[in-house]
Amino acid sequence: MTDNQEVKMRELLKQSLKPVNGGLGRDLWPQMFSRLQPHPVTMPWFDWALLAALVLCLCLMPSAIPVILYHL
Amino acid sequence: MNLHPYLRAYMAGIVVPTVVLVLLLTGFVIARFGCHVPIPIELAMVFPMGVVPSLFGLWNMFHLWLGPHRHLPIGFHGAILPLILMPSGYFVGKTLGILSLQAQGVLYFQSFSIPYTFFAIVLPCGVIAYYLVWKYLIGFFNQVLGIA
Repeated sequence: MTDNQEVKMRELLKQSLKPVNGGLGRDLWPQMFSRLQPHPVTMPWFDWALLAALVLCLCLMPSAIPVILYHL
Repeated sequence: MNLHPYLRAYMAGIVVPTVVLVLLLTGFVIARFGCHVPIPIELAMVFPMGVVPSLFGLWNMFHLWLGPHRHLPIGFHGAILPLILMPSGYFVGKTLGILSLQAQGVLYFQSFSIPYTFFAIVLPCGVIAYYLVWKYLIGFFNQVLGIA
């Protein structure tokens, strides 16, 4: 391959391949940082109502506790 | 980071029942040897100790296997588990002679009977408890272990 052909080949390759973008489009650290932060658990009202119903049920019928502990 | 996801799902699943079992076992030992309860409650430990933690782990692995497009939210997925555990507990208990079916209810340790209507209340309680435990505790452990 002569020098002329090599230069031509290089130009053709440059035309056919897209330029590589070495940098990131945005900073990923804030997203990673927010993932690392502990998120406070928020319970919807429906789950609070279920928990209250469960506690009330177990308080009214404490004999259900051993049955639940055995079967579940 | 994404190595052995099923192993991590199993480990996340067994944390809660393992902790509960230690407390349960302590209570049973105190009742049996401290308070001298005259019924063989150690037999009743077979099912909770042998089956429940493994089933929690396997159920969590199943949730992971179903994938994000097919599985239910984890709370509802966990709420299905009592519907499997309760009959399983009955069959293990019957095999070991812990309980038997009577006309009015289930007879435990040949000494005390629990009416069937009682189970109609206990089962929804179990479903609610499982829903909350799976949604908040096992969901949290799944997040910690990077599989949620």
